[in-house]
Amino acid sequence: MNYVTGKALSRRTLLRGMGTAAVALPFLDSMQSAFAATTKAPTRLAFLYVPNGIIMSDWNPAQDYEGKFREFPRAMKPLEAFRDDMIQLGNLTHNSGRALLDGAGDHGRCSGSYLTGIQVKKTTIDIKASISCDQIIANKIGAQTRFPSLELGMDDARQAGDCDSGYSCAYTNNLAWRSETQPLPPTLDPRVLFERLFGDGQILTPEERALQAKNRQSILDFVMADTKKLQSTLGPTDSRKLDEYLSSIREVERQLEKAEKDNKQVDPGMPKPYGVPADFAEHFRLLTDMMLIAFQSDMTRVVTFLMTREGTSRAYREIGIPDGHHPCTHHQGKADLIEKVSKINEYHTTQLAGFLAKLKATKEGDSNLLDNSMIIYGAGLSDGNRHLHEDLPTLLIGRGGGAFTPGHRIVYRKETPMCNLHLTLMGHMGVPVENFGDASGPLDPASLSQVS
Amino acid sequence: MQGRGFVKPPTGITFDTDFGTSIDSVLTIALLRAMSSKGQCRVISVSVTNSNLKAAQAEEALSDFYLGGAQGSGTGFGGGADKIGLATDGKLKAETPIIKTILEKKNSQGKPAYPYKIESFIDTAECGVTIRNMLLAQNDLNAVVLLDGPAGNLVQLMNLYGAKPQITAKVKHLIAAVGAYPNGTAENGIKFDIAAARKLFAEWPTPIIAVGTEVGEAIPYPGESIDKDYAWAQDHPLVDAYKAFKPMPYDAVTPGMAGALYAANPDDGYFKLSEPGTITVLDDGRTKFTPGAGGKHQYLIADPAQKEKIQKLYAQLISTKPVPPAPRGRGRGIGFGRGASGAAGRGRGAFGASGAPGVITPAAPAPKE
Repeated sequence: MNYVTGKALSRRTLLRGMGTAAVALPFLDSMQSAFAATTKAPTRLAFLYVPNGIIMSDWNPAQDYEGKFREFPRAMKPLEAFRDDMIQLGNLTHNSGRALLDGAGDHGRCSGSYLTGIQVKKTTIDIKASISCDQIIANKIGAQTRFPSLELGMDDARQAGDCDSGYSCAYTNNLAWRSETQPLPPTLDPRVLFERLFGDGQILTPEERALQAKNRQSILDFVMADTKKLQSTLGPTDSRKLDEYLSSIREVERQLEKAEKDNKQVDPGMPKPYGVPADFAEHFRLLTDMMLIAFQSDMTRVVTFLMTREGTSRAYREIGIPDGHHPCTHHQGKADLIEKVSKINEYHTTQLAGFLAKLKATKEGDSNLLDNSMIIYGAGLSDGNRHLHEDLPTLLIGRGGGAFTPGHRIVYRKETPMCNLHLTLMGHMGVPVENFGDASGPLDPASLSQVS
Repeated sequence: MQGRGFVKPPTGITFDTDFGTSIDSVLTIALLRAMSSKGQCRVISVSVTNSNLKAAQAEEALSDFYLGGAQGSGTGFGGGADKIGLATDGKLKAETPIIKTILEKKNSQGKPAYPYKIESFIDTAECGVTIRNMLLAQNDLNAVVLLDGPAGNLVQLMNLYGAKPQITAKVKHLIAAVGAYPNGTAENGIKFDIAAARKLFAEWPTPIIAVGTEVGEAIPYPGESIDKDYAWAQDHPLVDAYKAFKPMPYDAVTPGMAGALYAANPDDGYFKLSEPGTITVLDDGRTKFTPGAGGKHQYLIADPAQKEKIQKLYAQLISTKPVPPAPRGRGRGIGFGRGASGAAGRGRGAFGASGAPGVITPAAPAPKE
């Protein structure tokens, strides 16, 4: 164990055990005692992306307004408990997602441009985008954490083939781009993510994993000695905090084991990744629980999360929708299809609410993890029926460590570049950048403070 | 949007003006809309230099009138109300008699004669960004930027990161209906913002064709047309604006109209072009043309032989009763993207998602995958 002797515990302390097990620690009070004047919890940034647009009449208020939140429209209703924790940003536009002479393929373009801010090359072979804003941040501050960034997803990680009218699957299936030709594929399998976070990063074959599972012990068992040693040095508050944190890891392990067991029962020969639950909510919960742990223990400060990929035809049988998401979004005004998309939109924000509740319940000094985060929830299309790239549904959730005073809706002028938000976020992550994509400048700071 | 590999559509014109400061801006928008309806050009964006919301509202009202009451002014990418650029920090803040007349005129039922949808600044767009976004949707060198007023918005465009190469790729030339050539008195469009005009002529990356006051004076809009050609309309915004600008009768000086006509029909011989040279803006706002073979600037020269023909054309085009455009099935006709109307889920009271009552609203088309 790497203790800083004396009063303060190092932020980088790891609980180590037999083999390769290593568990990072959450932000404890005893970590800041020696640096009380200067230690501040880091700001975390996450992008949670939902595809195929949103039913905008469920997203924007019937009578438009700016200022303190009034009644939430249907798609935002599940987020009611967080009305004081978020800002709804209206009219942000990604011009580079539009056709601009490249014809069909709005799904491929909008996800490709979402964080890169440029019009991606229409191709299935020689892909070309640009470094994404999350990676600009990761490049700058990533050395301070175990993982410069994490890329997560729940749908499809194919990197080749045509996923939309001549656009490579690399555009629809990745949000993060390390360079203009190198996307960072998301991790879909919670078990793989778990092993990344708590192991040595070794990727196992399904057979090796099955063998390991048979003899599986909790990661906490491996680090038990170190845990006990640390606990003896902590005060009651930190001790409770550590206990809760380790319990959350144990809970993830239980969920993983359950998912793996269920998967076996469903179809032992299925090609699905070993630890991926069939249920959307369960899958989301597992990934976001680990995302929370990664934030809490400062394993990373930057996450991109492709909830499902752009153009996905995933069915939502969990909520009684056997039809594909994407076909439903081309509803052409048909009420039954609109209702299905509305339900999917609501289902997504319901999952988000669960994640936000955990972030908010995670204490961090005098604050909590949500307050110290900037969670961007949004889509690369607004109206999925017409493939519109303006007024993109966007929520900025959290206080960015005190950078924002949320609780309101702000509507920018038409055509305001989405990249202006990215520029703003990069600045708040301590990575000021002068130009990015088609940004015309950072968002007005006053717009991110609550309007009375 | 246009598509690569398709026949090149008519020239896309982005128009930037100090709307309502002079009658020229009103006449020029009318002419652009009329030529657009005949397929001679496409109006891809309109932005106003005035820092006054009412200027944008009046421009929208006029444009909608010329589109036969169709929703939106015909620019934009479809979906949502169309984007009218509006400067927020310009020097022109006053509400002019032209703007006031267009906005306050009531019809025989006591309702606004010229409805508009813009209600607040958030219904308008940042000028530089809007112009750039629209230019990027054009085929290379198939766009013309037409300026009829102070140059602040175009300077804002030039200042956007990476904009100059984009302008060079898309814009055939800038037509600047400002100044007087080869020499003359200081003109208002330049005097309002000398620094911006100076920067524009010095740094704009494409060829510039200037249209001086002398062209507008040589071929004015015939005032007699106002009482003669618009009798079909009980209320007509151009007629009301014309009468509000100056006591009748008068012929209107219209360099903007000349610039618009040339922008849409450069090869029709309506005007002559000067030799190449360089235009500089002097400290007092006057412009000076210095001939030189390597110069990127030229200016239009009025041809007296064309005067009558052009005046008739002006009157005929802008006095013709507008016809609402037919709804586009898939909304991929030339010019305006996917239809010009229909806000997606953002109601704004009477002028909300489905627009003003009684106006044809094209159905939302579903794009091809």
